[in-house]
Amino acid sequence: MSILYILIPLALLILGVAVWAFFWAVGSGQFDDLDTPAMRVVLDDDSRPADDSES
Amino acid sequence: MAAPEPCYHCALPIPADCDYEVDAGGIAKPVCCPGCKAVAELVLAAGLEKYYRLRDAPEPGAGRPEAMASAWDSYSQSDIQAAFSEAQPGNTGSRAATIYVAGMYCSACGWLIETALGRMDGVASVDINPIAHRIAVVFDAQRIRLGDILGQLAGLGYKPQPLAPQSGTRPELAEQRAALKRLLVASLGMMQVMMFAVALYAGEFQGIDADMQRFLRLVSFLVTTPVVLYSARPFFAGAIRGLRARQPGMDLPVSVAIGAAYAASVYSTLTNGDAVWFDSVTMFVFFLTVGRYLEMRARHRSIDRTVALSGLLPAFATRIDNGQRHDVPVSQLVAGDRVRVPAGDSVPADGQLCSASAHVDEAILTGESRVQARQAGDALVAGSINRGDALEMTVKHTGVDTMLGTISRLSERARYARPDFVQLADRIASYVVVAILVIAAAVALVWAYVDPARAFVVTLSVLVVTCPCALALATPAAFAAAGSRLAELKLLLTNGNAIEVLSKATMIVFDKTGTLTTGRPAITSVRVLDAALNEQDCRRIAAALEADSTHPLADAFRDETAVVASDLRIVAGRGVEGDIDGSHWRLGNAQFAAAGATDASDDQTTVWLANDAGPVAEFRLSDDLRSDAAETVGLLRRRGLRVRMLSGDAEGPVRAAARALGIDDFEAGCAPERKLANIAALQADGEIVVMVGDGINDAPVLAGADASIAPAHAARLAQTSADIITLGESLLPVATAVRAADRTMRIVRQNLAWAIVYNAVALPLAAAGAVPPWLAAIGMSTSSLVVVVNALRLNRFS
Repeated sequence: MSILYILIPLALLILGVAVWAFFWAVGSGQFDDLDTPAMRVVLDDDSRPADDSES
Repeated sequence: MAAPEPCYHCALPIPADCDYEVDAGGIAKPVCCPGCKAVAELVLAAGLEKYYRLRDAPEPGAGRPEAMASAWDSYSQSDIQAAFSEAQPGNTGSRAATIYVAGMYCSACGWLIETALGRMDGVASVDINPIAHRIAVVFDAQRIRLGDILGQLAGLGYKPQPLAPQSGTRPELAEQRAALKRLLVASLGMMQVMMFAVALYAGEFQGIDADMQRFLRLVSFLVTTPVVLYSARPFFAGAIRGLRARQPGMDLPVSVAIGAAYAASVYSTLTNGDAVWFDSVTMFVFFLTVGRYLEMRARHRSIDRTVALSGLLPAFATRIDNGQRHDVPVSQLVAGDRVRVPAGDSVPADGQLCSASAHVDEAILTGESRVQARQAGDALVAGSINRGDALEMTVKHTGVDTMLGTISRLSERARYARPDFVQLADRIASYVVVAILVIAAAVALVWAYVDPARAFVVTLSVLVVTCPCALALATPAAFAAAGSRLAELKLLLTNGNAIEVLSKATMIVFDKTGTLTTGRPAITSVRVLDAALNEQDCRRIAAALEADSTHPLADAFRDETAVVASDLRIVAGRGVEGDIDGSHWRLGNAQFAAAGATDASDDQTTVWLANDAGPVAEFRLSDDLRSDAAETVGLLRRRGLRVRMLSGDAEGPVRAAARALGIDDFEAGCAPERKLANIAALQADGEIVVMVGDGINDAPVLAGADASIAPAHAARLAQTSADIITLGESLLPVATAVRAADRTMRIVRQNLAWAIVYNAVALPLAAAGAVPPWLAAIGMSTSSLVVVVNALRLNRFS
């Protein structure tokens, strides 16, 4: 059982890293708009403007 | 014959004699007007036709191009561009602008704008936020001007409005980010502490090393501390604020519960006491934070207040300095400036008329649809529209000091003074928390006498089994489910309280113009007086004469015809005249076009057409009732609501509309203050009033009513004052909202009843020692789950 004395602090360390990573993601605006990115995947840019393809 | 296909772009029905079409991937699609044709061609030529396939069910009339395209050039002038964008650090010539885009409701719109702007030469990046209706554009000022970007947006059929740069992050964005971080800390903390708690419970049964127990408690303490000090901080702040204001709210008992349980656990940890409650603390904070987060999301869906006022005024004005004209941002105007307002533009500030005479439309302020005549020296009000020739005025008040600003403040104050419906569930939950702590302490005391060995386990069970999670979740879960379902039913909920109020409402008050009516006058009848002409000819001639007019009635005559009039002259406040095929025509009021004739009735507007020989035709115009207005009023009546109509319009049209809808309780000629007083009187009589309105003059009443509903086309100021915004042209969602509110409150009451019954049964059992902690944990989770699943039934509401 004494392994827990190492594993639990380790888990807390990972928890800390996860929280830090999430805070960074929120701070950089990744959670500001949760609707458009979902749309963007579906709407990839396959049709170029007509004048582009002709030139 | 199949039903005629609606316009490909704006989904409005296509007029009979109209044959515009666009080529969509080889298939000819009909459009309703040259404007829509231009927009659709722009979208298609850019290879963006996917927009039409992927957008949500098109809103009839949405995205119709605005007629005021020329205005955007002014934004390209260096000083105005500088006022509405800010230089990007470290990159010469690169500027960032935030643009508010009205009409951007779905993700397909966001995609269309992002792609179309992103392809413009010189645009570095486009960032879209459809929820806040904003886009952030970074562009190279040496290659593209702000005016070009705005022109492109207007060309796509949206109404762009550049916003002056603000310092720092927008407050609601900062709030949303902070709330998300709090929620994450609380949820991760709760999961970790739960894990340790399971080990501690297991230890109670199987025996546990004293060192290991102390270690697990210490670790729980470490994880719980940020949850209490960071995630739960808004509750403590709210409690202190409440105490200072001597109005303690739900935050106070919550804070006491969190603080007491935390402090007792810390003490217990340090002194090796009997029990710790870190798991209960974190779980309680987590569930409360979830509730607050859902509530905040709903609140942020409402329209931004900062935009509300500025959008009504033009962004820049033409100032006259020593005879020289300069375009300056309106924010730079000061009292005493002399300003020129071109025909068709809105007045930028309150002031005094310098020109000899002017004709202004003050409909957005007063609701009065007729154009007002003003003489030199008369007061002009910011936000009114110049319907005559260009005028000059001296500025008296600007910005928030204007009458518009006053109405806006009036709304804020009315909103603040609104009777507060304290949420039942919150109140119960907070008392329950205190009660639980007291009961738990009592149980611990009693068991310490009866059977000291079991005192701890029993107390623990009591605490766990009675966790008020189900109570705390009962209302937010139902409101969140109702909110998302209502959005699908074209109702945007901006204030969760409105649901509770709506279900209790006794009276519903409608505005007339633009709410019960379409707000767009239409020709109801034509009486031809000259045998040589038929009705169609008269309409064509009238349309030709009105071609250049910006008068609100001119829209009714719009007709795509080949007739072209020359020498058009607008006689402000009276009518228009011009030459067609060599003969001279006049179109206007009786005095102008048909001397001697009298207007037959007062409930409709009459317009006469005349040539040199005399009157030729008489047009009757009226602002049509919405097709579903009568049905909506009927549905509301059947639900037991009394219906009243308050309008700023004149007696005649109001009486006619009331008669058509069977409303016998109405009042005409109401100024905003009068409407507000009318509603306050109703409230004083114990009525719970729901207001439905769309004008700026309705904003104070919308804010003052117990709950309020505004249509999506409403003035933005009205929208910020409203609790619910209906999307689309139909009025029926108003009735749906009332029905949904009843249904939601039924679910809330079921949830509360369940939570109370569960606690009433579980508490005595646990206190009697019949429930082991693990069963208590299962019972508590199940009870919360029942509440959430019950709330989700609202998703099937239709």
